[in-house]
Parts: sequence; structure tokens; C-alpha cells
Amino acid sequence: MSILIAALLLLAAATGSGVALTRTPRRQVMAMAVNGLVLALLFMVLQAPDVAFSELAVGTVALPLLFLAALASVRMDRRSDRARDGG
Amino acid sequence: MTRRARLLLCVLAAACLLPACLHVALHMPPFGAHPLPYGEAINALATRQRHVTNMVSAVNFDYRGLDTLGEEFMLLGAVTGTAVLLRGSRGEQLTARPGRVGNRPVAPRSDAVVLICRALAALTVLFGVYVVLHAMTTPGGGFQGGAIIAAATALIFLGEGYRGWRRIMRTGLLDAAEGGGAALYALCGFAAMAAGWPFLHNFLPLGTPRDVFSGGLMQIENAGVGFAVAGGFAVLFVEFLEETRAERDGDGA
Amino acid sequence: MSQALALFPWAAATWLLAIGVYAIVTSRHYVHLIGCLSVVQSSTYVLLLAVGYRRGAGPPIFYTHPPGTPAVDPVVQALVLTDIVIGATVTALLLAIALQLHKTRGTLDPEKLRPMQR
Repeated sequence: MSILIAALLLLAAATGSGVALTRTPRRQVMAMAVNGLVLALLFMVLQAPDVAFSELAVGTVALPLLFLAALASVRMDRRSDRARDGG
Repeated sequence: MTRRARLLLCVLAAACLLPACLHVALHMPPFGAHPLPYGEAINALATRQRHVTNMVSAVNFDYRGLDTLGEEFMLLGAVTGTAVLLRGSRGEQLTARPGRVGNRPVAPRSDAVVLICRALAALTVLFGVYVVLHAMTTPGGGFQGGAIIAAATALIFLGEGYRGWRRIMRTGLLDAAEGGGAALYALCGFAAMAAGWPFLHNFLPLGTPRDVFSGGLMQIENAGVGFAVAGGFAVLFVEFLEETRAERDGDGA
Repeated sequence: MSQALALFPWAAATWLLAIGVYAIVTSRHYVHLIGCLSVVQSSTYVLLLAVGYRRGAGPPIFYTHPPGTPAVDPVVQALVLTDIVIGATVTALLLAIALQLHKTRGTLDPEKLRPMQR
């Protein structure tokens, strides 16, 4: 049991570093989803099923979707000053 | 500040913080044997006092119900702020055309994806409702269940495409769920006051332990949180995905 | 061995905090920076749940076990549970601010933005 916790802590630290050190935002989103999954597993092992549920739904679905939508919007380059000036 | 100066400042701050962190880590009670007086008291008393078997929900909705009210309004504030920021520059109208990046084609969805998403979305919503309803007995509650329901709406987007998705996701309805949920929670507190009890006092009949509808007022607060979280995340999805649509005609995009 | 293992949760939480802050300081993209902020946030989750953990205890849910069975701390779990959900919406607010910045200034690189530049 203790070994499982130690392994998942290590994995959480590793995937967390992966999120932080992935400098390309589009790749970082995928790292974030993996990190969310590992954290959910860790919380499960730490006897926190409620927390694991919410981390699973938020960390692997909601946050990556919001980041991807934001990145898509940035890439489309919608500039409000251009809209104001009439193109 | 230049990159170099920022890094130097970071290293300096780390040099100050690291010994403190190390000191705390070395003097922590051993892992797995931390003294937890508050949690132990709740574990020992909550089932008898509040007739619920999920201690986390008991803390969230009853013992620290006021904190959750604060969290509710943080959620409301963050979602409202996001919606105001994004709608403020975009306007409230909807756009029909998908945005394009360069000349990349928009790949059509395969029938398999549509089929799987339709089946899974229905099942996921059902599961989310199940999780919300079982807050008092087994792991679950408005926060988790609401997030799961919102995740299901992302599946609908994947299966039906943007236009079909927007036909289901009525902005007015989602806004109402979001604000109404938070209002329901606050009204629970005032209802207790109107009945002559302190704010958020659990004055409803508590039911029997291990019953789905035990917990009295906690059930209503839980439903309010479920509505607020599901609606809040759905509003966020709509607002962000609307940002990826093409700009309206005459914008010169 | 067990001494080192006992320090492990605190070390993991500190590491997540440190690596997140380092990446924020050296970030060249605001969306990346917001992602690193969620790493910093996750360090608090790891710390709190590790504090609330009890060796050999079950989850704080007494559906099948009678009350009185050893269970981990529900208070920290309630804290983390609400924070995960609220933190995600606050992250969305930050992303919206970043999008707004990109619309008005055309860049998301902190190096290219000067505070008072119009």
C-alpha cells in the first residue's frame, strides 16, 4: 500500500514537472490531462474518492477543453482593434 | 524586468524559502499518523448527528456550510467575470461559421464518433445525476456530479458538432441554472433564519442514515451546488467555444 | 528507508510548488503560465490530502463500514474537493483575461509586453 502511494506521488511529481516544463502550450494541454489522471489515481489511493471524482472530471475534461478552446481562439487571431477599425 | 533579473529574483526567493520548507518537512508529524482532531470528531459524530454516511458532504454542506456558500459565490463570480469579459468584446450574438486557421480543412466526423458520443453522453449525464443524488451516502455530491454533467456536454459537442450542440445548450437556461443554483444555496440559509434558526441551520427532518434522501437541508444545498457547477462549467464551455467561431460578417476576418 | 518514505509526500508537494513557480518565472506564453499555475495548485492538493491520510484507514464514508472504523480526515478532503472545482473556474477567468490581452495587444509573450505601453 505504502509502495503504491510512493509510486503515485513520484508519478504525480513527474507529470507535474512535465506540465510545467512543456513550453509549447498545445502539448502542455495533453500533459495536463495526463497529470489530472495521475492525480485522480493518487487521490483514490489516499482514500479520497470524492476528490478523485472531481479531479477526474475537471482535470482531464474541463480544463483541457478550456485550454484548447483558448489556444484555438489565439491561433485564429481575433483582434478587437482590427474589428474596431473596420479591417 | 529582464529575464535574467527575474530568474535571479526567483533564485533568491527560493534560497530563502527552501530552508524553511526543509525545516517544516523535517518537523512534520509522520506521514499516515498526523493528529487530526477535527476530522476525527466529525467521523465519530456526523452519522449520529446528521444521519449521513458521507463525511465529506457533511463537512461541505453542514458543518462548514458557510464556507461552501462562499465557494458558490466565487464560482458565480469567476463564471460571470469570464462571460462578461468574452461577451464584452464579442457581443452576445451567435455565429454560424466555424473559424479557420490558415487553409486547414475541417475534418468531417465519422458516424462511429457520432454514435458513440450519443450513447456515452446520455450515460454520462445519467451518471452525473446519480453522483449528485448520492451525495449523502456514497462518494459524490454537487461539485463532482456537476462537473461530470458538464463533461457530458463536451461529449455532445464532440458528437453533434457546434450547431447541434448550441441547439441544446440554451445560454439563458444555463445562466439560470448557474445563478439559480447559487441562489438556492443562499435561500436555504435564509429559510432557516425565517424558521427561527441560525443561518444555514439544518432544520429539515434528517431521514434515516444510508437512505439516498437523508440529510435534510443538505440535500437542497447539494442540489443547488449541482445546478451551479453544471451550469457554470457549461457556460464556460459555450463562451470559450464561441470564441473559436468565425467573426461576424463585416469584421474583415 | 521508512524515514525517507515518510518525507516523500512533503517532498513531492514542495517539488510541485517549486517546479511550477520556476516555470511561471521563465514562461514565455501566458497560456503556458496559467497551466503552470494549475501545477502549483495541485501541490496544495497533494499536501492537504497527505496531511489527512491515516495509515490503514478507509475513506470517510460509513456506508458499508459502521461509524467508528478508522477513516482518513474528511475536512481536508472537503477543502480540496471544492478547490478543484472553483480553481478550474478561476483558471477559466485567467484564460479569458489572456484572450482579451491577445485581442488588444496581439501577443501573449510577457517579454514583449511592457506594463504601461499603449
